[in-house]
Amino acid sequence: MGINKFIMQVKETLGLEDPKKATKKKSVKKLLKKLTTKKEHINKLLETKSDKKVSKDLKEELKIIICQIKNGNKILNKL
Amino acid sequence: MLKKILLPSILIILAYGFWVSPDFKEIAAGVSIFLFGMLTLEEGFKAFSGGTLEKILQKSTDKLHKSIGFGFVATAIMQSSSLVSVLTISFIGAGLIGLAQGIGIILGANIGTTTGAWLMAGFGLKVKISAYAMPMLVFGIILIFQKAKALKGIGYILAGLGFLFLGIHYMKDGFEAFKASVDLASLGVEGFKGLMIFIGIGILATVVMQSSHATIVLILAALSVGQISYENALALTIGANIGTTITAVIGSLSSNIAGKRLAGAHFIFNVVTAVVAVVFIDQIINIVAVISDSLGIAGDNHTLRLAVFDSFFKIMGVLMFIPFVDKLVSFLQKSLKPKAKNQTSTNTDEETVKYLNESVLELPATAMAAIIRETKHLYENSFEIIAHGLNLKRHNIISSMPLDEVIKDSYSHSVVDIDNFYNNRIKGIYGEIIDFSTRAQSDMQPDEIEILYKIKLANRDMVEAIKDTKQLQKNIFKYENSTNIDIKKQYDTMRIDLAELLRNINIIATTDEEDVIILLLSKSKVNMKKYDILTNGTLDDLIRKDLITNEMATSLMNDSSYAYNISKKLIEMASVTFANFNHEMLSLNEEMEISDDDIDLILNNKDT
Repeated sequence: MGINKFIMQVKETLGLEDPKKATKKKSVKKLLKKLTTKKEHINKLLETKSDKKVSKDLKEELKIIICQIKNGNKILNKL
Repeated sequence: MLKKILLPSILIILAYGFWVSPDFKEIAAGVSIFLFGMLTLEEGFKAFSGGTLEKILQKSTDKLHKSIGFGFVATAIMQSSSLVSVLTISFIGAGLIGLAQGIGIILGANIGTTTGAWLMAGFGLKVKISAYAMPMLVFGIILIFQKAKALKGIGYILAGLGFLFLGIHYMKDGFEAFKASVDLASLGVEGFKGLMIFIGIGILATVVMQSSHATIVLILAALSVGQISYENALALTIGANIGTTITAVIGSLSSNIAGKRLAGAHFIFNVVTAVVAVVFIDQIINIVAVISDSLGIAGDNHTLRLAVFDSFFKIMGVLMFIPFVDKLVSFLQKSLKPKAKNQTSTNTDEETVKYLNESVLELPATAMAAIIRETKHLYENSFEIIAHGLNLKRHNIISSMPLDEVIKDSYSHSVVDIDNFYNNRIKGIYGEIIDFSTRAQSDMQPDEIEILYKIKLANRDMVEAIKDTKQLQKNIFKYENSTNIDIKKQYDTMRIDLAELLRNINIIATTDEEDVIILLLSKSKVNMKKYDILTNGTLDDLIRKDLITNEMATSLMNDSSYAYNISKKLIEMASVTFANFNHEMLSLNEEMEISDDDIDLILNNKDT
């Protein structure tokens, strides 16, 4: 058994994660939390705002956020 | 001239010495092995400085006492104040820490070097140290041949320690054998004259060996066999402390102004401390005797008493300087000023790089940090030139002024000379960044080279955006006051869109919030496509309704393409330059980026 394979098996047995992956996972989760908060905030604003232009811009921003949350979840699933 | 004759003279003197005395040969070999051990040890610690050391340094230098503590611990572990000094100069050169923090580290490093004297006096001279050296060398050399960077680093550290111990062994043996044939102690000079002579010898020995650590070990080896007197050993120690600053001054010659200031601080600190020690030498000897007695060190144990003197003398210097660190910083800032212009350049208006210098090449991490900072410097200049090219004022863009008012407050009534600005404030810096990056990447890991490649592309994007601005500005000035309100409106819209982009990029550049960065980058990408008059049908509409002439249509078509390219390049540049530089964040930015299909869905008002 090669040394790398051995290390991988030990990591699997002990349930240890690759530190780089773990850091990335943490960053994505943090980012998704912030984006979700922002999404909720925009939804609340949309309920109250009546100005057509402002409302259009907010809707566009909301779509961008939804898109990014989708991308973030994809990254999380891969990790 | 002196340089040319110095090396051959040293070699001739050494060769003569070896021929006359085999014992001298053994001592010199011991010193050489010791110095080689220090080089190997430094190499080993550099292998671990890829991230950890930098993170610790940045976090533990925000207060003076922390900087001193860091300098002490780092030097005690690495047993090399030279390495700590060089790293500190490198960090200052890259703009990662300030001069006051750097001075703190140097003060701490001075105390840290005393641990070497304690180890040598308390352990190295009492046990058969070579017995530890052999296994360290064997294990160390085996590990050096391993591919893994960490194992290689451990190998260098073990081999380095092995060589240090072996060097000490040869020095000690050499002096013991030497004692049988020549009694150096008989050459000792007493009184103030002796003090000055031996301080001079200490300076010279340290300058030649480029290491105060090696000099002090040599002094202890000679003192342990009674080849020099205790008083002369004290003078040699003071001399070694002055000599080491010359190494730092030489090291700073290739550094930027901050590095030179740090070397200046090191020099002032060590020389002033040495002068105080000379003036109060009798009192210090008495205090050292009291401390030694209270520690239970025997009166004839001169080596340990020398270690006490070394520690007392350096701690005294640090305590003496702590209240004056701020004054020292302002004195150095006033007396050592940066060169106003690049003297090698024929163009006196040409702006030069701020962060790129030889000292930051010491570590891949500092080289990378310096390149990123220089890229941000180039961005600031590019921002200004693009704003002026669009006939906008920079401060209006970064303010909260409504964008339709921003475009009304013109920067100039005539076309700005972008070529002149480019030649003076972009070209030189851009060239230096590319040249420096190529040199820096030779010591970098593949993932770092990948980041560097993206940074180089970001720099190129900025240059191309400026070139496109140059093309765009002619018609901006032409149609800004046109009587045809339709063409004027199109150029005004173009300027508003680009001003909005510049404002967003400025927010990206000044925030640490990752969600804000990612959101604004995506928003800018959506806007870029939304505002493109070729794809949104505006141009066709204007032509069909005959609202603009053919010449205007051609100009508008070309210029909208330039505006699109400027936006594209600036967004790409911002996504790399302001990614809070760690590899994960950079790749995360790329993966989180919204695709062209997503943009189409957003613009066509469909569900994503």
